[in-house]
This record gives sequence, structure tokens and C-alpha cells, in this order.
Amino acid sequence: MQQRRELDQVYTNRKLLNGQLDTPKWWLPTVSILGVVVLIGVIVIATMINKGLGVTGLARPVFWGLFITTFVFWVGISHAGIMISAILRLTQAEWRRPVTRAAELLTVFSLLTALVFPLIHAGRPWRIAYWIMPYDVARGIYPNIRSPLIMDPVAISTYLTGSTLFLYIALLPDLGNLRDRTTGWKNAMYTVLSLGWRGNPRQWKMQTVGGILLSALMLPIFVSVHSIVSWDFAIASAVEGWHSTIFAPYFVIGAVHSGVSAVVTMMALMRWLWKWDDFIRPEHFDALARLLIVVATGWLAFTFLELTFALYGQDAPEIALREMQMFQWPWNALFIVFFLTAYAIPVPMWLFKRVRTNIALMFWTSILVNIGMWLERFLIIVPGLARRTPFVYTWEAYRPSAVEWTIFIWSFAWVTFLMLLFSKFFPLVPLFEQKESQVFTDDVMIGRAKIPAIVREAD
Amino acid sequence: MASQAVAYESEHHAPPPNVDADLVARELIATTTGASGRFKAWTWGLGILSIAGIVALILKFIDQSDDSTKWGYVAAMVSFLLSVAGGAPMVAMAPVMAKANWVRPITRIASLFSFAGVATLIMLIPLVAILPPLVTEGARRRTVWYMAPDYSPHFWTTLSLVLLLITGIALFYSAAIPDFASMRDHSNGWRQRLGKRLARGWVGTDAQWRTLRMRIGMFGTFYFLILVFVNFLFSTDFGQSMVPGWRDAIFPMYHTVSGFQAGVAGVVIALYFSRKYMKLEKYIHLDAFWSLGRLLFALTLLWIYFFYSSFIVFWYGRSENDIATLDLLIKGPMIYAFFAGMILLWFVPWWILIWNKVRRGTTMMVVGSFIILLGLLIDRIRTFVPAWSVPGDQIHEKWLKVIPETVWPDIFDILIMAGGISLVAFIVMMMTRVIPVLSVWQVQEFNLLAKPIKYIKGHATLVAKPD
Amino acid sequence: MSKSILGLFQQPETAADAMDGLKEAGFELGTFDVLTGTPYPEGAFGEYVPQHRLFRFPAFGAIIGFTLSVFLTSVTQLAYPMVTGGKPILSIFAMLIIMYEMTMLAGVIATVIGIIFESRLPNMQPGIYDTRITEGWIGVVITFDDESKVADAESVLNKAGALEIKHA
Repeated sequence: MQQRRELDQVYTNRKLLNGQLDTPKWWLPTVSILGVVVLIGVIVIATMINKGLGVTGLARPVFWGLFITTFVFWVGISHAGIMISAILRLTQAEWRRPVTRAAELLTVFSLLTALVFPLIHAGRPWRIAYWIMPYDVARGIYPNIRSPLIMDPVAISTYLTGSTLFLYIALLPDLGNLRDRTTGWKNAMYTVLSLGWRGNPRQWKMQTVGGILLSALMLPIFVSVHSIVSWDFAIASAVEGWHSTIFAPYFVIGAVHSGVSAVVTMMALMRWLWKWDDFIRPEHFDALARLLIVVATGWLAFTFLELTFALYGQDAPEIALREMQMFQWPWNALFIVFFLTAYAIPVPMWLFKRVRTNIALMFWTSILVNIGMWLERFLIIVPGLARRTPFVYTWEAYRPSAVEWTIFIWSFAWVTFLMLLFSKFFPLVPLFEQKESQVFTDDVMIGRAKIPAIVREAD
Repeated sequence: MASQAVAYESEHHAPPPNVDADLVARELIATTTGASGRFKAWTWGLGILSIAGIVALILKFIDQSDDSTKWGYVAAMVSFLLSVAGGAPMVAMAPVMAKANWVRPITRIASLFSFAGVATLIMLIPLVAILPPLVTEGARRRTVWYMAPDYSPHFWTTLSLVLLLITGIALFYSAAIPDFASMRDHSNGWRQRLGKRLARGWVGTDAQWRTLRMRIGMFGTFYFLILVFVNFLFSTDFGQSMVPGWRDAIFPMYHTVSGFQAGVAGVVIALYFSRKYMKLEKYIHLDAFWSLGRLLFALTLLWIYFFYSSFIVFWYGRSENDIATLDLLIKGPMIYAFFAGMILLWFVPWWILIWNKVRRGTTMMVVGSFIILLGLLIDRIRTFVPAWSVPGDQIHEKWLKVIPETVWPDIFDILIMAGGISLVAFIVMMMTRVIPVLSVWQVQEFNLLAKPIKYIKGHATLVAKPD
Repeated sequence: MSKSILGLFQQPETAADAMDGLKEAGFELGTFDVLTGTPYPEGAFGEYVPQHRLFRFPAFGAIIGFTLSVFLTSVTQLAYPMVTGGKPILSIFAMLIIMYEMTMLAGVIATVIGIIFESRLPNMQPGIYDTRITEGWIGVVITFDDESKVADAESVLNKAGALEIKHA
């Protein structure tokens, strides 16, 4: 049962704005360390661009390895934002309230990070600028819109733009709040950003109606983005294990699984670091875990279908690939770890309420899920390519180099760094939604029982 | 707190007032008796058509059981009935799992469709007899059964459909016990005796309510799992594996999701007619149509998503089996059915359901639902008829080398289709004579939990959330 | 130049009483408004419910996006034709994806513009305000063209229980 807490607005302001009005002690050291890691990553990227892709482990036939796996992983993480924000807003689920902004933020920053990978992956990244304007049309060619590699940036940019604008619109009331709580240059900054927000019924109605409208528009975009990313692989009939019609919904549901798990990780950290025990409560983790059970089981069904229909055609190369993936070293070890971490360990644990309401356990199981989901993408992308050795003169298996691992670690540091920078200037938990929950909830007596209730507006 | 749970005079935009629990029981149980002349005429008509359909099925089996290429329309019909009768009870289950309040009054009408699973089973019987075994002429065709015994598809599809029927009825019964008790207490004649028997001593103790909720949760979950399994089996064994080279991993999910779409459409239609002709406006609020409309809209969009995901992979792949599959199912003998299905199942419902005004009313909702059901029937014909029209001698090829001609329905097929649809409607209508079409205890629960209130100077509804 | 006053309340009921009082005293709808730090159910203060045209914005944006995308995908491919994988130069099924994304993008951007516009933002001179509104206080603001009515308004606010009245 959802617990109802009476929290007055002054207390809510003070607690949820503590990141902006004060600086927690841990903030500066953490951001500094992350900044150093980010800087190292940038230097390594620059070195790679200077020296060429030969510094990575990529070679025929495995042209897509760690970078593309991580690209798909971050696009997957980005799906949490819209899942939680849009779908739960449209279904009027009360428990979404503390989570929405952090999830939308994770979407924006993980998309920004995901976009970096195809850019640095190109042999001559500086030429990518010519995609935009002006393209090198003197040679009589133009980007081929039939290619999913063109569709990808269009979809991801659409999703990124939409998510950023959605985030900003939903921030407006809190920017007004910050304007009211600050002085000096901060006050000037928030005054400009809040666009003159006052909080009259017209503005609140636009927040509500606009929020629903934007949610309804972002949902189809959210489904399309990871589907288009999946079609990078699915349309290729030449690579075993890729040419399957189920890739689009399979990737989307996998993205929701990994994205919502990432939100759980983030929420646990937010509660511990900013001491938001009154706002991020065990019942939120309980609700998220129940959602995750459904999503994870759906994902498992899709995995089963993908495997079944891979073997359905009784195509010898396809069967050989699956045997390699599941029974040959080192793929078999990766496969076992993937299955254990993505489903077999976390989901049975989440069936118990004691686990669902234990925030530490939820934190660790959500991390396990993301390890598993990263491995899932790796196992989809690399083995199929690795088996194409009869056509090329190579005898070495793909082994990611130190450069690739550094850039992989950089991506996590970069997302966390951006999130912490954001938290210095803008609240991670939407204050007006918290206050709205105080207005829109009540307790009702049914007999002797006090039941929490929700106020629904009349038509 | 600013809200006061008070009744007030109805204004045009205020939520409808609650109805006293005793009146709910008496009025809803009264709907099982006193059928109007129109109701009787319709049930007679539907009953006659149902019998005609079953007779046509028997005659077709006697006449055409040696030629499987003529059974595509029956396969399409089984798929259609599975979708509508199988998908509708999901409306009783899924929103309940999501703790939605709006669905409480209408779960009964959705779960009544599980009885219509009898129609699906009747249509399946000859089809199972006609379906070729896994090994024909010494060669095993490509299926999901790999090295399993030859008659595995026949056995497991039948078993799972029977299980679906049983679980659906169990789901219905577990939620209906308190209403049988109400019938025991408020009706007379055979209904009272039936109520007494089926209520099994229900008095409404705490322990009984807890057991009831646990059973609903358990049977609901089983129902969902079995439904997905049946859709998977039927769509692959009776669809995909009949065509060489048709390898479509998304097809089972496509079949399942379009089944949910049809199920929701079926519930909307049943709700509309119950509300209108049984005068149940007090109990079936526009809220239910609003929420079902959003669900139907989302499922309509999901249809095009699943369809396009499958299509684009074949279109890009351009291998021989990809091209042959597209020719068979879309561009070749079924091109008109494809366009008709897409327009009726996606394009028209999308433009009807997208408007708030439509979802807040009933007329266009039911029009949209009928269009969806017609579109689904055509879409099922598009997928199953060409699949069954592939002659047996091509089944072991790597891909379909010769695209068969369009197969048109004969008189048996038309009667079977009309009979199948009539049988579903007939069964649902007859069940409303046995038990109230709306769940009495859930309407009472809805009224207990959702009260219209005055919020400072405005109107709102206070919805208690005990779960 | 119009004058404004702002009455500050701590309880929503008293603010709603003030709104009722202003209506009874003959003040025109649209000259007074309520400011809150959190959304309340519509009509809770008996306020004037604003009509909006927000739904036109995504429709308009989608039409523009769709048109631009048809132009981009077809004209560029026809101008610089390149056969890939045996597919036709104008492959409608592939074009559909870019067309879909650009239509949605334009729809979203137009909706955001619509939300900002319909909220009557940006308004860098928003008028009389109090920072306690975002701490739970409720403001009732009245704008006058005729200063003679200020006293009436003040008396209505005081009668309803205003804790403070600010002038601008």
C-alpha cells in the first residue's frame, strides 16, 4: 500500500533543493575524480582519432565490437526516462513522482554519450560533419537514407531533442521555485531560465495538458529509436544471428529492462547521497521491482522466441553460431554470466517483498542486470561477426584493447559527471510533483481502516 | 484536508453519484431476467447461424478432408476466434493487476468471453485432423518442434486450447462466487438454486475474500501465460510452418498483440450493447470507454509497429525466402486483403480513436471496434489462407518457389465464418441470462472506493487505493 | 498604467472564499487570478478555466515535419541517385522511417512552443509576486484599470482572511 506522508512545502523545498542551495561535502571530491577520468578518456579518444582505429582490437571480421556494444547499451539505458515519465504519467501512477526527472535526465545524458560512439568509431570522424552541411556533393553522392546508419542519428537526435525539451518544460515550475530561493547571479540565472513563471491556473493547466501531450508524442519516438538501432543488425542477412524480425521489440523491451534497472541504481544513490529518505521510499523500489519482474519476464519470452526461430530454419551456419555462443569458450562463460545476471539471479530475488523493499539489495541487483544486458548486446554483435573467418585472412579472435576499455569506462564516468553537474544547478527530484502529491492525495476512512486515496479531477 | 466526501446535485461535468449497494445487487440481478423481444430475436437468429456454421463444418470435413489447401479459411477463423474470445478476458485481468479502478465494474463482461472459447475448440477439431504430421514422405518439415514426435503440434495445440478454456472459466468462476451468493439471496427459481450451489457457502468473511483475491491473481497469471503459449503454438504450427522459408520470429507476438486488440474491441462492443439495451448507464460509466479507448489506441499503434518490424526485415533482406514470403503474404494473392486489413485494423481506427471526444463517448468507440474486428478477420485470412494454400509437395523446399493463386471462400467457408462469429455472440448473450453482466460485488467495491467529492470549490472524485 | 494588488493566504479555502468574494463584488473574470506553488484540481478555487488551443500545435508541427521530410528524403535521393542493394531510388518503406522521425520531431518542437506560448511565457515582467507562494502560500492577484476599486478589493481580501496584502 502506498504510504501517505504529510510534508509541508517549506520542508520539501529545503530538503530537495539542498543540492542547489548548499553543496554536499562529497560533491566536489567526487566530481573532481570523475573529471579526471573524463579527461583521461578524452585524451585517449583524441589519441585514437590521431592514430587511427588500429589502436583498438577491431579488425576483420569483427568491425563492430566494444564501441557498438556500448553504443547500444547507452541507447538502451536512455529508454528508462520515457518509460517512467511518460507511461506512468499517462496511467496516473502516483509512485512515479520522485523518479521522473532523474530518469529523464539519465535519458538525455546517456543519449549524448551513446551518440559519441558512432562518431569516434568512424575512420575519419571529422568527415561526419559533412553529413550535415555542406555535404561533399561535388562527388555526386548524398547520405543514403535507405541505410539504418543514417536512420540511427535521425532517430537518436529526435529522441534527444524531444527528451531535452520535455525535461526543460517540466523544470519550469522548479526553476521558478529556485528563483524565489536564491539571490545574486543565481537568482538572475533562474529568473531568465524560468521565463517569468508565476504559477497561475493557465500555466499549471499547460503543464498538465502539455505533459500528457508530450508523453503521448514521446512514447512512439521511444519505441522507434531502439527499433531503428536494432535494424542496424536485423536487416543484414549476411551475418548469422542478426537477420531476425523480432529484433525491434526484443531490443526495446531489453532497453526498458536495463533502463529501469539503471533508474533503480540511480534512485538508491540519490536517497543515500542527498539523504532523501522522506521522498524516495521503499515503496517506490517495491513498485519499480514489480514493474521490472513483468518487463524482465517479457524480455525472457522475447529471448526464447529469438533463439527458437534462429534454430527454426535449421540452417547449418546459424546452428553452428548458437553452439559457439553457448558451448564454446569464452562465449559459453559470457553466456552463463549474462543469463545469471540479467534474469536468473535478480528476478527470483525480486519476487520477495523483503528484497523489493531492501534498498541495498535493489541497488546491487539492478547493477547485476546492467552487467547482464551489456553482455547480451556483446553476445548478439560479436560472435556472428567473429564466425566470418572463412572469408578473411585472420586467425586471431577479437580482443578489446586497453583503448577500448578506457573509453568504455569513460562513458560511465561522463554520464555520472554530467548528472552531478546538473544536480548542482537543478533539482533531481521534481518539487512541484512532490507538492502536487500532497494536494492530490488524502486518507479516507472505510470503516475503521484508513486507506490512502487519490483525488481525480472531474471532466 | 480540503476534500469532503459528500453527495451533491449532479452538474453536467460532475462525476456520476454512487449507487447504494443493495440497489446495485437488485438491479444487476434483475438484468438476468425479463429478456426483451429484441434480445430473444437476436439469440434465436445467432443460434440458428451457429448451428448452420457447425453443420457446414461437418459437411466440409466429410467433403474436403483430403485436401488441406481448402482449409485456410477455417484456420483463419480459429485464429480470429482465439484472438477475440481469448484476448477479451485479458481486459478482466491486466488492468486488475495494474490496480486500475475503472475496470472493476466491467471485468465480468470481459471474462464471459472465455466461455466463447468453446467456439474456438469446435472449429479447431477438424483442423487438427487435417494438419499434416511433422514428417511427410519421409522428410521432416521445419517447425519449432525439431526432433519431437510427429503429432506434437496436434497434441499440444489442442491441449493448450483446452487448458485456456478451463483456466478462463476458472478465472471467471473465482471472481463470480460472491455474485452467485447474491443470486442465492436475491433471485428465485433455477437461478437461485444455481446460485446456492455455485456460491459454495460464501458469506463474505475476511478469509474468503483473501482466498478470492489470491485465486483471481493466480488464475489471471496462468491465463495470460497460457494465452501467449496458445498464440505461439497456433501461429507457428498452423501458420508459419505450413510455408517453406517463412521464418518470422515476431509473428507469434504479432498474433498475440493483435489478439489483445480484437479482445478489447470485443469488450467495447459488448459493453456498448449492454449499456444501451439493459439500461446500465448508471453502472457503465463513460470512464470505462475512455480508458478502453486509450488501450485500444495503443494496441492499434502496436499493430503497425509489429507489422512494420517484420516487413522491413524481409524487405531489406532480399534473400529468396524473404522475397517469397513477402510475395505470398503481401504483394501476391493477398494484396487486396493486405490493404483492406491494414486500413481497417490500423489506419481508420487510428484516426477514429485519436480524438478525445470519441474516447469520451460510446457511438464512435463501438464503430471503431467493429472496424477493428472486421480488419482482424481480413488480416487473419491474409496470413492463414495463403499459408494453407501451399501444396504439400512444396513443404520441404528451402523457400516457396511457386506462389499459389488466391483461394476464395466457398459456401462452407462463408457459413463457417458466420457461424463462428454468431456462436461467440450467442454464448456471451446466453451467459448474461445465467449471471449478471456486470460484477455485482465489484460495482459495489467501485462505489465504496470511488466517491464524488467537492474539492474546495470544484468537483473531483476521491479514489481509495487499498492495494 | 494598471495597478495590481496581491492578497496572500495560507489556506486554500480562504483563498477560494476570496475568489468567490471578488466575483460577487462584480470584478470581471480575467482581472483576478490565483497563484499557487503546486497545481490544484481544476476549478478548486472557482477560478476562470482558461481555454487553450494547445492541440493545434502538434498537428501543425507534424504537417510541417511531414512535408519537410518528404522533400528531404525524395529530392536528395533523386538529385544524387545511388542504387544500393537493388532497392529502388525512391524506396517508400525506408523513407517512411525518416519521415516518421521528422514528423514526430516537428510535432514535439511545435508542442513545446505551444506550451510556452499558451502559458503566456516568456514574460520577463510578470508583475506582482511573492516568493512565499512557492513555500505553500496562495496568492490572489487583482489587476485594476480604475484605481477607485482598489479599496473594494482590499476589503474583500481582508474579509476572506488575507494574511498580507501587497501593492504594485
